[in-house]
Amino acid sequence: MNPWRKLMTKKRFSAVGFIAAVAIAVSGLVVPSANAADEIVVWADESRGANLKKALAVKGDWVPGYTITVKAFSNFDALKDAFDKATDASGPDIVMGANDWVPTGGKSGKLAPVTLTAAQKARFTPGQLFDLTYKGKLYGVPVDVNNVAMIYNTKLVTTAPKTFGDMVTYYKANKTAKSLKAGLCVAGGGMSWGAHSIFSALGADAYQFDSRDKIVYNRSFNGTTFGKNVRTYLLDGKKSNGFLPASDAGCKDNFLDGKVPFAIIGNWEWSDYVAKGFAMNLMPVPGVVANKPGKMFGSVSGALLTTFAAKHGVEAGAKSLLTNFFGSTAGQVLYQKYEGRPPAEKGAALDATVTEAQRGFGAAASLSSIPQIGAFLNNNAGGANYWDSAPAYWTAVLVDGKDAVTEGNKLAAIWRANTSAGKADL
Amino acid sequence: MTSFFTGKVSFAIKLVVVLLLSALLLTLTQSAFAQKEYFIAGFLAICILLLVLTYLTKISIPLKFFLPGVLLLVAFVLSPILYTVTMSTFNYKTGNIVSKGEAIEQIKNRGFESDPDGTSFDIKIGRYEMQEAILISDTINGAYFISTETNRIPLVAADLTINEYGVAESAPNFETLSDADMATADEIYSLKRFKYEDEYFIALEGFEVGIVSRQVLSYDEVKDQFENIITGEIYTDNGRGNFAIADSPDQYLEPGWRAPIWFENYTKLFTEERLRGPLVSVFIWTITFATLSVLTTFALGLLLALALNKPIRGRRVYRSILILPYAMPSIMSILIWGGMFNTEFGAINNLLGTEIAWFQSPTFAKFAIILVNLWLGFPYFYLISSGALQAIPSELLEAASIDGANPRQIFRRITLPLLLQILSPLLIASFAFNFNNFNLIYLLTGGGPRAELDGELAGATDILISFTYKIAFGGAIQDLGLASAISLVIFVLVASISLYGIRKSKVLESFQ
Repeated sequence: MNPWRKLMTKKRFSAVGFIAAVAIAVSGLVVPSANAADEIVVWADESRGANLKKALAVKGDWVPGYTITVKAFSNFDALKDAFDKATDASGPDIVMGANDWVPTGGKSGKLAPVTLTAAQKARFTPGQLFDLTYKGKLYGVPVDVNNVAMIYNTKLVTTAPKTFGDMVTYYKANKTAKSLKAGLCVAGGGMSWGAHSIFSALGADAYQFDSRDKIVYNRSFNGTTFGKNVRTYLLDGKKSNGFLPASDAGCKDNFLDGKVPFAIIGNWEWSDYVAKGFAMNLMPVPGVVANKPGKMFGSVSGALLTTFAAKHGVEAGAKSLLTNFFGSTAGQVLYQKYEGRPPAEKGAALDATVTEAQRGFGAAASLSSIPQIGAFLNNNAGGANYWDSAPAYWTAVLVDGKDAVTEGNKLAAIWRANTSAGKADL
Repeated sequence: MTSFFTGKVSFAIKLVVVLLLSALLLTLTQSAFAQKEYFIAGFLAICILLLVLTYLTKISIPLKFFLPGVLLLVAFVLSPILYTVTMSTFNYKTGNIVSKGEAIEQIKNRGFESDPDGTSFDIKIGRYEMQEAILISDTINGAYFISTETNRIPLVAADLTINEYGVAESAPNFETLSDADMATADEIYSLKRFKYEDEYFIALEGFEVGIVSRQVLSYDEVKDQFENIITGEIYTDNGRGNFAIADSPDQYLEPGWRAPIWFENYTKLFTEERLRGPLVSVFIWTITFATLSVLTTFALGLLLALALNKPIRGRRVYRSILILPYAMPSIMSILIWGGMFNTEFGAINNLLGTEIAWFQSPTFAKFAIILVNLWLGFPYFYLISSGALQAIPSELLEAASIDGANPRQIFRRITLPLLLQILSPLLIASFAFNFNNFNLIYLLTGGGPRAELDGELAGATDILISFTYKIAFGGAIQDLGLASAISLVIFVLVASISLYGIRKSKVLESFQ
């Protein structure tokens, strides 16, 4: 007998055929998920996502003929991770991302350029548009300003400090009497991003500008001057004087408990301080010289167009959403009503519904900030990028007791090399 | 009871299980096919065929037991290894992620520029004489026209319906698309270049705005190169995943694609000082860490097993307590230990009355790593040592005792050698596990401390796998090809050391 016929008896053949038929029928009920032809998918983190849904729901036809689906991820890192792994089928059409996503997204072909009209561009500052530009092409629309500012506890400090020295003098005079745990700490933004205003106040900007506000690629801050300022204001001999902790752990709690007079806070958390009765006396960190405050990073988060939008056949709709909602006064006012950050769009920033705190952060940013240029900050041509080298300086000097000037010169060399190398990525 | 598993009932159960599995796999196959993952779709289809043939025929009885394991081995062990080996020979990093076809498509899509004045118009999408067209309002100059791909037709304002902003809403013979139609026509209109002037065209930037642009980059499929139409520069495939100018290799178009560079990732490990230096020190620490981990956890586990091998009061309670660290999720334990080592608030410094910066000093950080791994690992060796001790015949120990051996001699000459013979494979497995113990390093110290200001790439407690992770995912540029090459080197190292250990311990001989 033919072995195949022996193997596949009538009973088994029927069973196989039955299984195949049912399997096909069942699997046919489950269609692989894909975006619908008239659906624009927006990805955002847990805070922005939830608030976007509320804002978009107010008016259903931001882009007539399209439904807009917002997918919120559990946190910003999860969003970034998912976007890095996104494929043509699963990827979003627009992603609410940080400005430093733009160089890598543009380089890797995950983000698509957008072209704004002159009138649309005029709604934003050149710096904001620059934040989302890579090699001359804009990759999204600025949505909100990300920055930090310093506040002081009016129960401890009655007048705003004019210089960095004023803050240190206050701390030293009241440290024991008021059981202060520190003088100035970084509650928002960490010891690299949030602490840039402290670096800058003491003489160390991440990159240098000339008198025409053009970046100078082959120059860095003066490590010796910076190191000497650190010695003067932050050290007692070789040890930290306690004014500035090397880490941000416990800063917010200590400030809210009245144990730290000055704190750098983020514009995403001001409501926590207002709720505890703190005044939003927002200001830049004062410099060693009066009226020369430290500069914070004034970056924007943006609604970034992805290359998946074209593959999903919704590119024009996604671009319309960028201009009709994300880049419009009405859209930003509505969104920031829930999100609570300073809106990037000029008309929205002036709107009456924007709170005092949001305005305060916006004002602090315009007073003293530098653009957050990912091409320089993420570059590690100097041996370490900005995000690793900045906190490493505090650890080296304030914890390990290394020489502030020697380490300052090392830091200056690293940042100069990173800026030089990052030029190719602008 | 056994009749439950024979006859029609068993056949029915088998049929249902195979049915459900086949349906699930078929769904996955469809999904893979729809996403153009043909390799995965093919593998899944073969799985379905094998499942049905194996379990519904008598083609092979042993295969009924081996098949699930073999399929899972191929899917989750062999395939990732093969993929890693393949990617290690590719230039696969940020900027070289997509395929060549996609890269060409994206370069073409990016390869245009707006006119010097940034001219833009308000538009309406529609059809004119059966063609895709846009109705354009030049509100600044008060001019109106219809553009198709090939034609530009000027219009008279008096013939149009114009709104209060000066934007034309409708025109004769122009059929405006409805909202629903716009959504379905999005893809078509987005790719169109509507006629304007000379080399300039109008491209859609949303449904309301058209931007005047011109093509800058043109792709020649035959020569496989891009030409900058304006400057005449030619970009050719540089063999490394980018179109670049032959005389200026630093000038290249983005995005690139993943392209084979063969053994360059491997030679980079040994020729690039930035990588070679840290690689040696990281390798030495990895071996040291894995060895110390095995020795300390085995020693403590065995000691406790010996101590509790005797019938003492409360032995069951002690055994339960000792297993607790093993029962807790290791991630939680590591994070809690991280908090306990905190310089200012940690329990350890509070207990000792010190202010040791545990994670700022290389020595203390390494000590902390070993200590935490001891905590995590000793229950495992306690359990297996307890079992192994039971397996040693008590007559051997009694005979030795009668012959005059003291307890230390009995342990050294009889108990320990027998234990090592039984536990050798587990010791080797533990070494291999700790060689790649990423969780502990990443969660406790992050590989640090690292002297960033001195340009150190690897931290003091980085092991090979955490160092690989930093290279792959730690910076703005993720070099997955290089990370794959390092992973393969780690695999070869671990396999070599394990094989040597297995041979030396002659474990496999007992299976022959």
